[in-house]
Amino acid sequence: MPLPEPPKIAAVEVVPAQPSEADRAAIAHAGVKDAKAVYVVKVRLKAKPPVTSMSWALYVDDERVAKYWEYTDGIYFTVFDPQFFTRNQGKRLRFSYNGTDFFDTGVDLAPAPSVTDSNATRLPLQADVLK
Amino acid sequence: MTVANERGELRNPGLPGHEEFDTLIYGSPPLAYPAALSQYVIYNTPDPAYVTGRINISAFANLGSAPWPFANTNVPLNGHICIPRGRGPFPVAVFAHGNHTPTENSTPGYLYLCELLASHGIIAATIDVNFLNGFNSGENDARAIVHLEHLKQLRTWNSTAAHPLHGMVDLNRILIVGHSRGGEAVGHASFFNRLAAIGPVVLDGSAGLGPYRFGLTAVAAIAPTDRQFVPATGPTVVPDSYFIIHGSQDADVFTFEGYHTYARAHAVDLANPTVSDGKFKAMLWVHKANHNQFNSVWAAESAPGAAMPRPNQERIARVHLGALALAVLLDRREYFAVLRDHAVASAWDPAGTELVSQYQDPQRIFVQHNQEGLAAPVVSLPVQGTVAADGVAAARQLTALVGGFATTTITLRLAWNGAGTRLLLRVDPATLPAERYKVIALRVGQSNEAANTASRDQDFTLEVSSGSRTAAFPASSLHRLLFPDPPPFGPAKIVMQTLRLPVARLVERGVDPSDLRSIALVFDRRQTGVVYTGDLQCTN
Repeated sequence: MPLPEPPKIAAVEVVPAQPSEADRAAIAHAGVKDAKAVYVVKVRLKAKPPVTSMSWALYVDDERVAKYWEYTDGIYFTVFDPQFFTRNQGKRLRFSYNGTDFFDTGVDLAPAPSVTDSNATRLPLQADVLK
Repeated sequence: MTVANERGELRNPGLPGHEEFDTLIYGSPPLAYPAALSQYVIYNTPDPAYVTGRINISAFANLGSAPWPFANTNVPLNGHICIPRGRGPFPVAVFAHGNHTPTENSTPGYLYLCELLASHGIIAATIDVNFLNGFNSGENDARAIVHLEHLKQLRTWNSTAAHPLHGMVDLNRILIVGHSRGGEAVGHASFFNRLAAIGPVVLDGSAGLGPYRFGLTAVAAIAPTDRQFVPATGPTVVPDSYFIIHGSQDADVFTFEGYHTYARAHAVDLANPTVSDGKFKAMLWVHKANHNQFNSVWAAESAPGAAMPRPNQERIARVHLGALALAVLLDRREYFAVLRDHAVASAWDPAGTELVSQYQDPQRIFVQHNQEGLAAPVVSLPVQGTVAADGVAAARQLTALVGGFATTTITLRLAWNGAGTRLLLRVDPATLPAERYKVIALRVGQSNEAANTASRDQDFTLEVSSGSRTAAFPASSLHRLLFPDPPPFGPAKIVMQTLRLPVARLVERGVDPSDLRSIALVFDRRQTGVVYTGDLQCTN
């Protein structure tokens, strides 16, 4: 049998959204400064692979995305710290099943839109971002 | 019916016991599952005495894209529970599935094991974690929390005066079992069980989750994943006794990554190498078993004809998980014999089944554990001695025996080209109290490198000396050293077998265990070969 193939990415979009209650607790615990929003990184896939227990871990360059979730068009993860985008600006998204062999998706992390004190109060809910 | 085996007195633990039991559904109604999730409507009408609450797992996980009729702030505690009739208290086993398409209910897939255990007098449940299923990653901490919350539900019922389970649950005898991602999660549950908080989430019950601190007797992982979730403190080290079973034809978790979990558990503490945490670990590697057939409702994922028939795989699960449960939950300690040596179960397993097993007892002293570093092999302190490689290339390596993540566990590679070569460990008998132990145990396995003949067992001689007396035993007289089963993907796995040489057999041959002077691996039974050794212990 051939090795399973990693997902193919169609596009990446970063959308600021309102933090949930759990997000606020995590932000406070992590001591993130200037966390005005939760950044929802939507990774639209050309096709979703079958659901398996084996996981395609997602990396931004060498930084592993700890958790991601499924939505209708692909997967998404959330970022509390805007420094994540500064640190990883223009870096490549990669998948790996073992932390050793990496599959280059050919797609870079998109920049995060700026969130100001004024527009932070009008951010959408995460559920709405994922519709 | 009692099935004879080499020890005679053991009954097949995979056969039903004599206890009558009832199977009930528990759940958290109202649960308005839509048509796409019609397999779950059974949880909307639980047994009236077994209505449960909801829990908030939003600190750990989001739900997938399936149309669940609840949010991650109020997920249900649904499951199936098999309860022996009688007064109890009964020990407990709780099973959890892994990741699978969420439109198929994975939960009933372990009822065949729950029913077996209940027939032996164990309360056995299989739980609904399907709302965490989907194309996601990193959620196994949430699976662990759900598992622990189900245990908490049992504790609540046990302490509720009017409840049918009042006083019937032995909360000091608990086995948690997980398959696949659920198998990784039981390791995290074992770790979380002892914590007061996880990050910002307190586990004292004040915010809904916890407290836990259950008396987990053992943790069992069926074909688990590893390190999909990594705690802030690093990869989880399972603190409780640990059992793992995995199939060579697993075409899902094809890297046998749970082996890394096994390696981390109860590993030697280099600062205190004689100190034991009092826990055992055991492993069963099943040639021709695949991933999905351990769950009775999941369709096989392996190529047609690659895996053993489903009834055989379920039978192996019954026998070996049954033996584990009887040993640790019902104090039938004689069933530890199955964990120590899978050959004890050979009459109960399907004919022709090829298995590899490892066992590490809490009582052990390492003669050689190889974790000192990558330099030339040594005898491990506090045992004193020397190692001499005569005609055999001996190299300690960080070899990825099974694939998956890079390993941090060192193994010793031994390669020879010409019969009669040997690895000789000379020891100072004053530093090795072998007479206090029952067995000399060596973990060793062959690779599929060219020096090994395909499909042929590897073999050598184990030679043990005290003073002028030497006893020699073919490795094959202790166990087969199987050639690796070609895997569905990637490189073949090198899975070591624990060879257990009874000290009594040494005594029979005139070797004085209180005066043990040397242990040698003599490569005189195959002209060429490559084997990997993990550790050499005196143990029980």
